[in-house]
Amino acid sequence: MMEKNYNLSKWLNNELTEAELAEFKADPDFEKYEKIKNFSAQLKVADLDEAKMLDNILSHKKETAKVIPLYKNWMFRVAAVLVLVLGITFAVQNFSTETQYASNGKRTSFLLPDNSEVVLNAGSEIEYKKWNWKNNRNLELQGEAYFKVAKGQKFEVKTSLGKVTVLGTQFDVKARKNRFDITCFEGRVKVNYKDKEIILTHGQSVTFENGNQINTTATVQKPEWLENKIAFSKEKLPNIIDEIQRQYDVTISIKSGYSNELFTGKIPTDNLDIALQIIATTYNLESKKIDANTIIFEKK
Amino acid sequence: MTNNSLSETCDEIIFSNFFKKHAKSLRNFLFYKYGNKDQADDLVQEAFIKLWQNCASVPIEKAKSYLYTIANNSSLNEIKHQKVVLQYENNFTGLDKTNENPEYILEEKQFKEKLLNAIENLNETQRVAFLMHRIDGKKYSEIAEELNISVKAVEKRIHLALVELRKTIDFK
Repeated sequence: MMEKNYNLSKWLNNELTEAELAEFKADPDFEKYEKIKNFSAQLKVADLDEAKMLDNILSHKKETAKVIPLYKNWMFRVAAVLVLVLGITFAVQNFSTETQYASNGKRTSFLLPDNSEVVLNAGSEIEYKKWNWKNNRNLELQGEAYFKVAKGQKFEVKTSLGKVTVLGTQFDVKARKNRFDITCFEGRVKVNYKDKEIILTHGQSVTFENGNQINTTATVQKPEWLENKIAFSKEKLPNIIDEIQRQYDVTISIKSGYSNELFTGKIPTDNLDIALQIIATTYNLESKKIDANTIIFEKK
Repeated sequence: MTNNSLSETCDEIIFSNFFKKHAKSLRNFLFYKYGNKDQADDLVQEAFIKLWQNCASVPIEKAKSYLYTIANNSSLNEIKHQKVVLQYENNFTGLDKTNENPEYILEEKQFKEKLLNAIENLNETQRVAFLMHRIDGKKYSEIAEELNISVKAVEKRIHLALVELRKTIDFK
């Protein structure tokens, strides 16, 4: 009976009913259990020097009352992550380089942070940084763009060929291959080309090509390309072909020889057939459309 | 209590009372388990130091289970198991103090030794539960709480301890 239901533990704890106890007393092992119970009640272990230990413990410094450390709070964590994400977004937007791009056959116009206007001609790219734009108006240009600069600090356009520093307001910069064209429409601009530095006032235009300088006058108020025309001044045929390719996003090849005559005149940027016809007539060639985007010039 | 925002555990008087109430039985528990009194003392001190240092984050109601958890965890690897050497109360010679029959006295002395021996040879869980009841006079429910087991499991351990002790003593 005592082996079941862990009754020995009940007996040790004085939980047995009288009937159960009477039954257990009849058990031949009862006396031995009784002896174990009585002897084990007299056991002890060495004392503990509590006073000394307590002094030891209390001599340790309590950690400062950080009730709940801030970083352990999930709200704080969420907030921290948000701040971090926003911070990175802000940094990326402001410190990274902003790129504006006009692919062949397209034009892009946009505003700089100070509301200066930029129109990018086809096949051109501009890079600048938004950060501290007000005090540091620097752009890098590949290709051609027209600028209408808001009043303020120095405004600089860098190209692979040279640098144009704005002293006034409206100007056009064209840097293609070896040819660097700058036209000032309003105010003054300063142009650096190699070790030369010249200042253009409104209506003045300058071209540098392979180290040579050509001064011209602008007869218009705005660059022609803004009005869907390209104006060429003493331009070589390959450069004209390049420009047409950019404006119409087409591929043009010349299958025969052509004269080295320089072209001065305007070509539309919104009518490919007329543009091709002007070139064909001037250079005594014949244009053939292979498909929508491929044109060949051949000798007549 | 000078500052309501702090846990009561940080109050020196409350902490000291708590220490006096639990230090010895925590030490004994560790001693029953490993038989090494000095290391049991050290572990108790370490556990209470941790409690004191972190008093602000441990409410007094949770302090006991905090202590036993620390004591249990830290003891796992560090302690060398030794035989649990117990003593009897100084004046305890036998059950019937009036009986001066030398044979009886010898028998009682032998039984005392047999019992100590049998306890040493109990398995750890049975010995711990049995001694917590016999020496510290704890209720089964308290033992269950401190060992983090059910009352039923405590009863089983104590029952089996008694059976084992009786068999070992019989055998010798």
